[in-house]
Amino acid sequence: MNKHSRWLMALMVCASMQSGMALAGEAGAMSKADEMKAEPFRDAKSVKALAVGEKLDILSKQGGWFKVKVGKATGWVHMLSVRKGDAKKGAVNSSGLLALSSGRAGTGKVVATTGVRGLNEEGLKAATFNEAELKRAEANASSKADAATFAKQGKLVARSFDYLPAK
Amino acid sequence: MRAQLFFASLLVSLPVAAFDLGGFGNIDLEKAAKVVQKVQKANADINEPQEIDLGGGIASNLLGAAPLWDNPPVQRYVNKVGRWLALQTERPDLPWQFGVLDDDDVNAFAAPGGYVFITKGLLARMSNEAELAGVLAHEISHVLRKHHLQALKKGARSELMSDLANDAIKSQGGDPRLSKLVSAGTEIYARGLDKQDEYEADRMGVVIAARAGYDPYGLPAVLQTLQSINPNDSNLALMFKTHPALGDRLSLLDGLMSESLADSEGQPDLAERFASQLKAK
Repeated sequence: MNKHSRWLMALMVCASMQSGMALAGEAGAMSKADEMKAEPFRDAKSVKALAVGEKLDILSKQGGWFKVKVGKATGWVHMLSVRKGDAKKGAVNSSGLLALSSGRAGTGKVVATTGVRGLNEEGLKAATFNEAELKRAEANASSKADAATFAKQGKLVARSFDYLPAK
Repeated sequence: MRAQLFFASLLVSLPVAAFDLGGFGNIDLEKAAKVVQKVQKANADINEPQEIDLGGGIASNLLGAAPLWDNPPVQRYVNKVGRWLALQTERPDLPWQFGVLDDDDVNAFAAPGGYVFITKGLLARMSNEAELAGVLAHEISHVLRKHHLQALKKGARSELMSDLANDAIKSQGGDPRLSKLVSAGTEIYARGLDKQDEYEADRMGVVIAARAGYDPYGLPAVLQTLQSINPNDSNLALMFKTHPALGDRLSLLDGLMSESLADSEGQPDLAERFASQLKAK
């Protein structure tokens, strides 16, 4: 791959990442009073004050920030000041991957079972050893070296942070 | 703790040897020595190989309730994310294993010794790798802090935990008392851990994700997504029953994250890699 095509590739990845982040106007509301900022930073200029319960549209996400539209104003609000969606309307899913869980995606093999099964209280209390499945799980395990290579491919850089204290 | 107890038993047993002269003092000292032994028994912890064996049994039971999703590429992908996270912790050398359970329920589980599972139902509601990392890191934290072992020690089978710690039960070889412990360990999933353990795993999970280079807001993003699902959805019933309210978990993180993790701003969420890995099949 020459320099030029690498650049092109980087641009394409950038573009697709942008679209991946778009939340297509998902509804939300302020879970507490907070300020709308001009940029997704704590010390960015304040655009306007938002009251608890104020309705908004979530346009995109960047780290801990949502780009939101409130009335005619657009700006950034800290993600944890927002409550997403309208629970009464049912599931909201922005990734389009929900088909996985329908069981109709053609990937979930139906295994013949007897008796109670499943991740509910009864199922867990009745659960019995599945040694073969544990062996299968082991076979998928990753080595330290594999994990480090994988991280490098994703440009993940290990950094040091202290654990957060209990409040 | 172990050193302290050793010292205590030394203090008690020494006078027995040195002043073994008369009747009653001797008896009292023997009694005291027995009390010390008992205390020692109740406080002894199982060692790491025992923890791994016990956790393997619990994990095997969990897989009896829900098998692995038959999608090896995704299973390997989740293992790489998980192992990379585990490498940023104080227990990098456990035999960490991660798995996606073939179940529509929305939940995640950890077992002692380094076993971590998430359901397909939860994976399907995630939109990037940082979210996956956040959830795995929360579960990893339960293993790091041995929350399940503590719950077992406090529960109805605490006696058996002591027996295991004192080698009265062998962790391999099919002792029926061991399967009782394993069942008790599995039942914790139906009952849930201490609320404080869940909050601690949230606080640690976001930090482990940040250490691994991810946007640490993945875990709160997942909690927020779950908040937007109809709470009457039966797929969330067990998770809701066994965890503190999502709103409480989110406001706890809100109070802590913005200050301490400000330096992690701009770390990637790898939405692209996540989407391509999950759509590959």
